[in-house]
Amino acid sequence: MVDALTRSMRASHVLVAILVAASLAVAAFGVATNDTFYLRLATEALIFAGLALSVDILLGYTGLLSLGQALYFGLGAYLSALVLMVIPSFWAAFAATAVVAALAGLIGGFIVNRVRGVYFALITFGMAQVAAKIVYNTRALGASDGLIGVPVININLGIASVSSASPAGFFLFVLALIVILYALSAYLLDTPFGRLLIALRANEARIPFLGYRTMTPRLVAYVLAAMVAALSGALYPMLRGFVSPELFFFATSGNAVITVVTGGAGTLVGALYGSVLLTVLKSVIGSYTEHHLIVIGLLFMGAVIFLPKGLMGSVRPLIERMLAREPKQ
Amino acid sequence: MTAPILEIRDLSVNFGGLRAVDQVSFSIARNRITTVIGPNGAGKSTLFNLISGAIRPRDGQVLIEGVDCTGQPPYRMQAAGLARSFQITNLFFELTVAENLRLAAQILEPVSMAWRPVRSSRVAQRRVDDLLERFGLSGKAQYTAGELSHGEQRRLEVAVALACEPKVLLLDEPTQGMSHSDTRDTAELIRSLAADVTVLLIEHDIGLVMSLSDHVVVMYQGQKLAEGSPADVRANPAVQTAYFGHA
Repeated sequence: MVDALTRSMRASHVLVAILVAASLAVAAFGVATNDTFYLRLATEALIFAGLALSVDILLGYTGLLSLGQALYFGLGAYLSALVLMVIPSFWAAFAATAVVAALAGLIGGFIVNRVRGVYFALITFGMAQVAAKIVYNTRALGASDGLIGVPVININLGIASVSSASPAGFFLFVLALIVILYALSAYLLDTPFGRLLIALRANEARIPFLGYRTMTPRLVAYVLAAMVAALSGALYPMLRGFVSPELFFFATSGNAVITVVTGGAGTLVGALYGSVLLTVLKSVIGSYTEHHLIVIGLLFMGAVIFLPKGLMGSVRPLIERMLAREPKQ
Repeated sequence: MTAPILEIRDLSVNFGGLRAVDQVSFSIARNRITTVIGPNGAGKSTLFNLISGAIRPRDGQVLIEGVDCTGQPPYRMQAAGLARSFQITNLFFELTVAENLRLAAQILEPVSMAWRPVRSSRVAQRRVDDLLERFGLSGKAQYTAGELSHGEQRRLEVAVALACEPKVLLLDEPTQGMSHSDTRDTAELIRSLAADVTVLLIEHDIGLVMSLSDHVVVMYQGQKLAEGSPADVRANPAVQTAYFGHA
């Protein structure tokens, strides 16, 4: 008998596989038509999918609403830009981001996990705003202009190397990284430790009587989410060649929450589909009107009212039923 | 002589000006069923909260197998061998019955298993299957806890508390709101538990208390009024006045 939560996670894997297949098709089409614009747009969608993934670990699984994940996304982006401008090595930027994000997440986690519910949301929001103001007013970090002139890098993968300037190559590289972040998150959430996070969301009050402190899993979830957000952010300057303080702003955090809710909270894969959907919509509608946020806002309201479980929250049960019918392996 | 499995000494707590539990002392013997009875507001549930670490006592001690655990948080009490159920059903309602039990049983696994997929948690899984069978919930394993009937939820509440293989099991009104036949079945179940766990019970159904308990503690207005065998307590005139309402 396959455990219900394990089966749900497998259904998410199926949906991720579909997304990967579609992405490969997009990459092939992009190469065939010599496209740059859409491949870059798709790469951006995947980078913001990583941010949304971190929000889903907190909101969809642990039950913590972070309105400040941009703090770690921006941190990763700036740190990566700074490292790349000194040492143009992907691995140096990635490793530095992982270490600093873990430390920052730990410090931030100790602060925000002192409170629950709406206060948690407000403090995450406040911390990100403080960071945004600091970056915005620090000349060494380019102040309101941000940092420009991040060099194009060649990412050494041992057997091959990918240039961050190659639309299809970098797109596939980012796809691989985001799928790895997804796979690691999905693995973790299907372990006893991960189930404790799900239990926290379901009924935090009972956890101590099962023999666990609630602070430890909350903190670990927060640190992991910070790392996922920062590592996604670290890819941003490689794609764009610059970073700007907007990456820290509430719009970035808020967008990630909208992405997760629209895509389906508590599914992981919803963050990926949600990000693709929102990025594409923003670009398509943005080409007709500059008031594209009105349309996004209306769509979000529509999603909350008509698809309260989000896109993947509504699609995934169908896949689960198909998986349940299959013979045991 | 070995230390009693659970001993409380002069346990007290105040809520504002109210002395909710006032210098209560008793100890319970291994593999016996001890029941705390008393009218509403006597301090029974508060007493359970003090023993399980949900609230800190102002005075007094809680000893588990002779070890002082006073004022420890619930997760430490669990580690010392104490588990409890709640008067108001306190489950993971959106998770399946099996997952509720698995969550409670996963502490039986070594810490190294915490980072491996749950399907490799064989010890916890065996415990879950065993409890499903024993509590008659096998057919409902894949239902969410929220989908169960009230009586089934009350049974699951006890099963979740029992899942971590505690030495002492505190059951706060396990039959609350149950039908007559459910109550009888649950009493049978509790009696069968006493073979491997010491049970401390809060119960209102006097018939059940008298037939089930080895030992009865009577509380009244925060204080211990009497204790003894069911027959002794029933014959005690002070108990009759305070609890049964006639002299």
